[in-house]
Amino acid sequence: MTPSLSRFLLRFTLAAGLGFPLLLRAAAPVHDLYLCASINSTSRVMGGGGGAKDGIYQRTADGAFVHRGLNMPLLITLVVDPRAPERIYAAGLSGAMRTTDAGQSWRILTGWDETEPKSLALDPQAPDTVYVGLPDGFIVSRDQGQTWQRREQGLPARGKYTQCLQVDRTCGGRVFIGCEAGIFLTEDGAASWRRVFPATDTVNDIQQSPHDPAHWVAVSQSAGGLESRDGGLTWTRLPGLPNEHALYNVTFDPKRAGRLAVASWTYGLFTSEDDGRTWTNRNAGLPETPRVWRTAVDPDDGRLYAAVYEKSLYASADFGRTWRELPGMEGSVIRSFTFVPQAR
Amino acid sequence: MKKLSLLFLALLPLSGFAQPSTTGPVPVPPPDSRPDMRRLAYLARAQEVRQWYVDSIKPENPATFGPAAIAAKLVRREDAAAVSARIVELMQGPQSGDMFWMFPWTAISFLGRDQLSPEAKAAIRDAWRTYFPLRGDTENHWAMYYTSLFLMSELHPDDAGPTWFNGKSSAENRAEAKAYLLHWMDLATTIGQGEYNPTHYIGEYAIPMLYLSAWAQDPEMRIRGQMKLDWLLADLAASTLHGVLRGPNARTDDTSVVQRWLALSSYFSWQCFGNTPPPPSYGGFGVWFAVAAEHYTVPEVVHRIAVDRDAPYTQHDLKRTRRRWRYSDELMPLVYKTTYMHRDYAVGSTQGGLVTDPIQAHVWDVTWAVPDPRGVHNTMFSAHPHSSGKVMQMYFTELPDHMIEALASQGKPSYDVPDKILGSSPYEQVFQDRDTVIALYDIPADTRFPHINGFISKDLVNVTEDKQSGWIFAQGGNTYLAYRPLAGFEWQPRLGYKQLPSKAGYKWERVNLGDKGDRLLYSPHRKNGTIVQAASASEFKSFADFQAAINALPLTFSLEPVPTVKLRTLRGQDIAFTYGRTPVLNGRPVDYAAWKLFEGPYLNAEKGSRKLTITHGRLERVLDFNTLTITDRVREN
Repeated sequence: MTPSLSRFLLRFTLAAGLGFPLLLRAAAPVHDLYLCASINSTSRVMGGGGGAKDGIYQRTADGAFVHRGLNMPLLITLVVDPRAPERIYAAGLSGAMRTTDAGQSWRILTGWDETEPKSLALDPQAPDTVYVGLPDGFIVSRDQGQTWQRREQGLPARGKYTQCLQVDRTCGGRVFIGCEAGIFLTEDGAASWRRVFPATDTVNDIQQSPHDPAHWVAVSQSAGGLESRDGGLTWTRLPGLPNEHALYNVTFDPKRAGRLAVASWTYGLFTSEDDGRTWTNRNAGLPETPRVWRTAVDPDDGRLYAAVYEKSLYASADFGRTWRELPGMEGSVIRSFTFVPQAR
Repeated sequence: MKKLSLLFLALLPLSGFAQPSTTGPVPVPPPDSRPDMRRLAYLARAQEVRQWYVDSIKPENPATFGPAAIAAKLVRREDAAAVSARIVELMQGPQSGDMFWMFPWTAISFLGRDQLSPEAKAAIRDAWRTYFPLRGDTENHWAMYYTSLFLMSELHPDDAGPTWFNGKSSAENRAEAKAYLLHWMDLATTIGQGEYNPTHYIGEYAIPMLYLSAWAQDPEMRIRGQMKLDWLLADLAASTLHGVLRGPNARTDDTSVVQRWLALSSYFSWQCFGNTPPPPSYGGFGVWFAVAAEHYTVPEVVHRIAVDRDAPYTQHDLKRTRRRWRYSDELMPLVYKTTYMHRDYAVGSTQGGLVTDPIQAHVWDVTWAVPDPRGVHNTMFSAHPHSSGKVMQMYFTELPDHMIEALASQGKPSYDVPDKILGSSPYEQVFQDRDTVIALYDIPADTRFPHINGFISKDLVNVTEDKQSGWIFAQGGNTYLAYRPLAGFEWQPRLGYKQLPSKAGYKWERVNLGDKGDRLLYSPHRKNGTIVQAASASEFKSFADFQAAINALPLTFSLEPVPTVKLRTLRGQDIAFTYGRTPVLNGRPVDYAAWKLFEGPYLNAEKGSRKLTITHGRLERVLDFNTLTITDRVREN
C-alpha cells in the first residue's frame, strides 16, 4: 500500500537493527518528520472522492514533503514504536490503526464502538501500552492494540470528550488527557482518573516540556493557555494568551529552553521566548490572517513550523520573525507533526 | 466535516432518456384486494428502473456503463462477458466513495455470483483489499459499511486479515459487523430511529436492510433485515400523504424541505406503494433497491397504511437525536414526534430544540395534498435560522472554527445564511395537537441570526392578511390554513439556490424568482412565536367561514418575559404553552415520559419493547425483535 514509506522504514529498521551507520546522512537531520495531512479536501464529503491526497506525508532529504500513503482524510496522528520502527500506530476517523510492516498494510485495531479517536500515544515506559482518547471517553490496550479496555473511572459520565492526551515521559502510567470537562490525570495507567483542571470547553492540547519534566502547558477552546510547574498537579492561566477564541496546539522548542509556540485559527501564531511569561504574535510573513491549525518545532534545528489551514506549510529559522513556504503541502490541513529519531 | 451531501445528485447517470413514471401521470395504486396486481406492479416498477439504467448505456461514453448499469444488467442476466470486462476495467482505476462504494459493489458481487468471470470476481475481491473506505461518522454510514462488510465476509468466509482493507479476517469482520448492526437495531427498536423520517437517507437504511434480507446466509441477519425493512417502510407509510413524506425530518435539504415530493423517500413510496411519481433518476440510489427488489414483498398491511387516508389519525412516535459527543448532558436525547394525517393535509412536528441534526433537520410543518406534487411547494412553517460552531462541535468531532465555512463547500449552502429555513435551533420549542401547531422562540441577543423566518409558499392562494386579528389566511389545495405570527414581520422574497459548475467543492448563486417565488415572513423579534391551524375546506361553507371560525377562537398571548400562548383550537382543545415549560393540554401537562415508541391507529410499540405491531383494519403484522419473529394474523372483528 505504501511502498515508499515501507522502503524508507525498512531501511530505517535495518539500520536500527543491524547497525548500518552509512545510511545516515552526515549533515542530515537526526529526526525524520511525518505529517498527518489532507490536501484540498475540505469540500470532500463522506462518499465523495477524487483528487485528494490525504494521509501520511514525509519530509525528504531535500526538505520537500511527499505523500507516503494511508490515503485517508482526517488522519489525526501517527506514533512509531520506539523499539520497532516498522510498527506504527495511527488514529483517524476509521479508528486506531497499526502497521507492523512499515506501512505496507494496516489493520484497524478498534471496533465498532470505539469511533473517531482523537488522540493516541504509547507509554514510553511500557510501549506495548497504547492509550487512545475518544469522543466518548478513553480506552487502553496493554498488548499493542490487540485488545482494548475502557478505563474511565473518575471521568465524568458526560464531559469526557477526549481531544488530546500526553504521557509523562518520566513516569510510566502517568497520563494527562484534555477533555471537555478539563484536564484529567491518571497515575496508575488509566485505572483511575482525577480532574486537575476544570473547564467548560474542550482542552485541545497538552505538552510536557522537554527541558523540565515538571513543566506542562496546555491550550484550550475558551480557557486560553494554561501551565503547570508542579508536574501537572495544579494549573494556572498563561498570561498574555487570549481566551476569547480557541487555541489549537502548543509546542516547546526542544532545542532551546524557554521557547514555546501556540497555534490558533483566529489569532494565528504566538511565540514566547521567556518560558510563557510574554507572548508575541508572529503572523508577519504568513498568509494574511493566517488560520494556523498546527505548529511544531524541529528538534534538530529549532525550526518553527506553522501549518496554515488550506494554505501551506511554512517554516521559520528565527522562531517566527520571518517565514518561508515549504514545497509540497499547498492546500493542506496538517493535523500533526511526528518527529521520529533516526537510527544511529 | 464529512457527510453525504447532494451525493445522490452526483451519482445520477448522464442520461437523456425519459423516465416513464417520473414524467408520466401520477400513479394510482392497485386495489387493496388484489395482492397479485400489487406484486406485479411492484416488480414492474423495479424493472422500469433497471431498464432505464440499461438504456442509459452509451458505448461512446464509458461513464454511462457504471456500477448501476452493471447491476441492472446482472439482474437481467444479460451481457455477462461485457459486464465482466467492464468491471475489470473499473477496478483498475482508483476507487472512491467509501461506504457508498461498498454497498453497490456488494450488490454486484451477489448479483454476479453465477455470472461474472473469475477475473471480474477477483478484481472486485482485490479492491476490498487495496481500497480503504472510510468507516464514517453517522448511523447511515455505519449501516452501509457494516452491512456490506457482513455480506462480503459471508461471501468470502475464510479469508485472512491481509486480504481485507482493514486487516481483519472475514470472521472478525463478520463478528464486528453483526455486533454493530444488532446494536443499532436494538437502539432503533427500543428508543427510536436516529436519523428518523429522512427525505433522502431512508435509502441508506432501507437498501442495506434489503440486502441483508436477500443475501445474508446467517438466518438471524436475514430475518432481521426483513423485519427492519418492514419497520422502516411502515414508518414511511404512516408519515406520507399520497406517497410524499410529511412533517419533521431528522435530515432533509434546502430543496426537499419546500418541494416535499422531490426526495428519495418518494422513490420508496413509488417503488413500494405506487402512490406517487418517483423523483428524477429514481432518486439516484433507487436503482440499488430495484436490483434486489424481487427479494422483498411489501406487507399488505403496510401497503394499506400507505394508501388509506379515509380517516384522519394522530400518530405519536419516539425518535432520538444523533450522538452528541459534547456540550450536552445526554448522548442521544429523545425526540417526541407528532403526526396528524388527514386526506387533505398533514401536520407534523417534534418538540423543537436541537432535534437530531443541526444542519439538515426540519422541525415542523403543515403540508397539503395536491393532485400532482411535482414542482409544488406545499408546505408552511417557521424556523429560527440558527448557526453555531459550538453546536456543530456537539455533533461532530472537530475543532471549532472551520466547520461552518466548510459546510458551504460540502453542498450545504444554507447553514450560515440568515434567510435559511433548514435546521434546528435550541431556541425553538414546539407543541402540536392534531392540526394545530404552536412554535415559540426565545432567542438570545448574541445569537448569530436573532430573527425567525416563516415560509409562505408560492403555491398558496388567497393569501389574506387580517390586520385586525393578526391572522394570515391562505388556501393550499383543499386545505385552509391560518398562520398567526406573534410579533411584527415584513415580507421578503425567498431566494433559491442554483448550483454552479465547480471542480472544487459546491458552488452556488442565489436566485430571486420575484413574484413566482416563495416568500419569507421575516420577523426580527427575538421573543416570538407562530401558530398555524389547518382544516379541510370541506369542513366549511366558504373560506370566509373558516376565517370567521379562526377569529372566533379564544387566543391570548404575551411575549414577555417569555413567549406564552393560550389557545382554544378549531378542534376545541385548550392549549397553554409557555416557552421553557411543559405544554398543557386541556389542563393537563403533556406527559412526555409516558410517550411510547409508536402510538396510533396503525403503529404501536412500547418504549424499550423491541416489538412493533402494525395494524390496518383487521390485518396485523407483529415484528418482534426479541424472538426474531414476524407474525401475521387477521384479527377478529
